Amino acid sequence: MSEADDIDMLAAEYALGTLPADERAAVARRAQTDASLAAAISAWELRLAPLAEKIPERAVPAGVWEKIEKRIAVGGDSNVISIERRLRRWRATAIATSAIAASLLLFVGLREFFPPAGDKTLVAVLQKDAQSPAFLVSVDLDKRQLTIRAVAAKPEPGKSYELWLVHDDLKTPRSLGLIGDKPVTVGPSLTSYSPSVIEDATLAVSLEPPGGSPTGAPTGPVLWSGKLLQAPQ
Amino acid sequence: MPGPLQTRDLIALLGRVAEGDRNAFSELYAATSAKLYGVVWRILPSKDRAEDALQDTYVRIWNRASTYDATKASPISWMAAIARNRAIDEVRRRAPVSIEDTPQALDVPTDGLDPLDAAQQSEELRRLNDCLQALDGERRQIVLLAYHSGLSRDEIAQRFGHPVGTIKVWLHRSLAQLRKCLGA
Repeated sequence: MSEADDIDMLAAEYALGTLPADERAAVARRAQTDASLAAAISAWELRLAPLAEKIPERAVPAGVWEKIEKRIAVGGDSNVISIERRLRRWRATAIATSAIAASLLLFVGLREFFPPAGDKTLVAVLQKDAQSPAFLVSVDLDKRQLTIRAVAAKPEPGKSYELWLVHDDLKTPRSLGLIGDKPVTVGPSLTSYSPSVIEDATLAVSLEPPGGSPTGAPTGPVLWSGKLLQAPQ
Repeated sequence: MPGPLQTRDLIALLGRVAEGDRNAFSELYAATSAKLYGVVWRILPSKDRAEDALQDTYVRIWNRASTYDATKASPISWMAAIARNRAIDEVRRRAPVSIEDTPQALDVPTDGLDPLDAAQQSEELRRLNDCLQALDGERRQIVLLAYHSGLSRDEIAQRFGHPVGTIKVWLHRSLAQLRKCLGA
């Protein structure tokens, strides 16, 4: 048997469920970093899935739903997970309101706010909802230089605003550093991120202890977020 | 899946769950929990353990709804796979539920389709069932019993009275034959 066949049989037995406990745990660990193994497992789950059609339903005991509801409540299982969920949700909102955001940028006049930038400029309105923009962001994609300007956000005494880059490929939000108290903050540099990630990213601002998140992940509430968009020409 | 909610309704619900919509999640639970509890119960026929596994399953569905891809799997297939994986993780980690204590675990359709209810089966199940019918009887039973009851190689070896190495070889041959028959 070739190595590819071996991997596919491992995936098949994982999906069927027949592996001994230690092998099963090892396959699950490996699938987290081995995309081809993960894909093979999904393919096998799909092949076998029709068998579930024949399994009869069974009445669920009362009280289970209440326990699930409690576990998914914000701050339930894990604060980090709940913040990531909220980021995802805000990102969905940001996409939905992107047309409003783009027209708002036209209204306020992009050139008034930002220095002349390169050919490829991305912009984002960081907001809680369409009516309350807090920061305007522009990114010069050629230089991978970010400029952020406070619109309505006021410095919070004893707290710092931290800016995060969110993208599915990055798994977790990445800190872009603290937003200064000045009206315009130039930087930080985005050179460690590829243009394809930046073009498709969402920015979010969380409220953190002075000096920023102690953990490297957002610990405070996400106050504003917005998706990066092509600047109106 | 037959039932009041169609596949497209479940896809729409999962889309809303991905955006954090709790009402949609509640509807999704109402529409699917009895099915997933049936899946989990076959593997963990114990009220406490099956309930815990069902809770974990829905927390995972809530957290991972944004990764669901409607072009790859039906909602119920995707959710049933999460439920099975959770139940099997649990049954492997702790002492297995004794087969003798749980006669319902043996009550699985191991001989394939009843022609009378064939009309209610999906095209996917018909294809899979045709391929299963091509397997030798005992080997087909092993695959079906593993799927429905979550038996490990060792447990299958005890049940069928063959060395575990033989069971592994049989499983691999059966699965390879199924893959070839299903054409992917």
